[in-house]
Amino acid sequence: MTRSEWLLTEHPRSRRQARLGQAWRTWLAFKENRLAMLGLAIVLTLLALAVLAPWIAPHNPLTGGDLRTERLLPPSWAHPMGTDDLARDILSRVIWGSQLTLMVVALVALIATPIGLAIGTTAGYFGGWIDTVLMRVTDIFLAFPRLILALAFVAALGPGIENAIIAIALTSWPPYARLARAETLTIRNSDFISAARLQGASHLRILWGHVTPLCLSSVIVRVTLDMAGIILTAAGLGFLGLGAQPPQPEWGAMIAGGRRFIIDHWWVATMPGLAIFAVSLGFNLLGDGLRDVLDPKARK
Amino acid sequence: MALIDIRDLHVSFGEVQAVRGVSAAVAEGESYGIVGESGSGKSTVLRALCGLAPITAGAVTVVNEPLGRRRSAAFHRRVQMVFQDPYASLHPRHTIDRVLSEPLAIHGFADRESRILQALDEVGLGAGFRFRYPHQLSGGQRQRVAIARALILEPRVLLLDEPTSALDASIQAEVLNLLDRLRSERGLTYILVSHDLAVVAHMCERLLVMQHGRAVEELTRDSLRARSAAEAYTRALLSASEGYTPAGATP
Repeated sequence: MTRSEWLLTEHPRSRRQARLGQAWRTWLAFKENRLAMLGLAIVLTLLALAVLAPWIAPHNPLTGGDLRTERLLPPSWAHPMGTDDLARDILSRVIWGSQLTLMVVALVALIATPIGLAIGTTAGYFGGWIDTVLMRVTDIFLAFPRLILALAFVAALGPGIENAIIAIALTSWPPYARLARAETLTIRNSDFISAARLQGASHLRILWGHVTPLCLSSVIVRVTLDMAGIILTAAGLGFLGLGAQPPQPEWGAMIAGGRRFIIDHWWVATMPGLAIFAVSLGFNLLGDGLRDVLDPKARK
Repeated sequence: MALIDIRDLHVSFGEVQAVRGVSAAVAEGESYGIVGESGSGKSTVLRALCGLAPITAGAVTVVNEPLGRRRSAAFHRRVQMVFQDPYASLHPRHTIDRVLSEPLAIHGFADRESRILQALDEVGLGAGFRFRYPHQLSGGQRQRVAIARALILEPRVLLLDEPTSALDASIQAEVLNLLDRLRSERGLTYILVSHDLAVVAHMCERLLVMQHGRAVEELTRDSLRARSAAEAYTRALLSASEGYTPAGATP
């Protein structure tokens, strides 16, 4: 029996085989989508760049070359993306910057998703006054423009990449809570939830074991699609000088630094901009593809 | 003393009074039917019994336990339910194994492996189905899983809410025969809700006819077969169940 037969069998013989088979089917459906595969490739490249940065970056990202001769050099073989006003190699800075970008994206997703899921499913499942209280709190957070609220947090906590992450996470959970609540409302009265209650399952068991798995896929899709926005918000905070602090090679801060010479030395602001563009596009394509395979309603 | 005693049960959802004063007593080992048209409140009686609908007024006693708002763990072990739509009553992301092991985990059973295999065997599915997902099963197979899930806690009472109305005719007979066999093997008590008089006549010794949330009359299986009903509504229901008769034809 080949491996794919073992995975796709209609008669799995263990829990593990059933779960792996299901994952393999999802992957086969995902693989059909060319654009989603491109998105996945971009995201994997970002991951590889972040991990391998110390070995593949040609120059030091923080200390530049000779300030008299190597400032603001246009793209060349020695410096494929040119150098900036402190004679630092922009390619190396973009590569090292992928670490910061990935850290922001991963931490925001890890903080915001559980908060949104927990609040949304709890509100939707219990209803009544619990729903009212939780959703009004969510509304309050939703009413603030995201960047402005993040600005306020950073202003209160002090600038820095860690505080930017906390600020973005605190402002990005409300849409997930709304989404999870909407999903929960459609399933809370379904027969399989009633059956679980009839078996004497506790509320926590139903929320965690029955409701959350069904909300998870649409929330994951939404988070992936939001990654682009998170990167842009982080870059925006960096651009305003409230995110990563110099000399950290954060892409938004690099654009802010290149702004002064954008007419004569276009590459300084353009190269990190291109990186932000590519990564945002990658996450968007990946999210779209994930929606096609994960969202039960989109499935035929 | 009856195993299940329903006295003057009222169920209201806000303004809507779904059930208005229904009484019934079901003895141990009996199979009791509730029939009526859509919206007559027959399913609501079952849901009130198992705690999915509120008991607004009246008293319900199951195995000498008066039912309040919260049900005890012992109640859940004694009373289980099979739902109407097998496509909606199984969690789409849980394997059959998970569906069957969860009630065992909740109630702390030790020998889960053997119980799951035995339950699958009893409903005629076999161990090959254990790690499948519901979408890999047909409607009849799903309903068998739902029956296995209800029986795995070894309840004494099984509430059946139109267990076959979502299945096609040949599968219906299979599932009904399975339910019949399980009842005689285990001495179960059934309360079966259906709009299908033929199903109720096949399964139940006694039945209650309901209309607009009220009990119309109680019949035995023999009087149902003899078509000797006292109330006009029951007679109308009986003649409707005989199907379409062309005008002018003599029955």
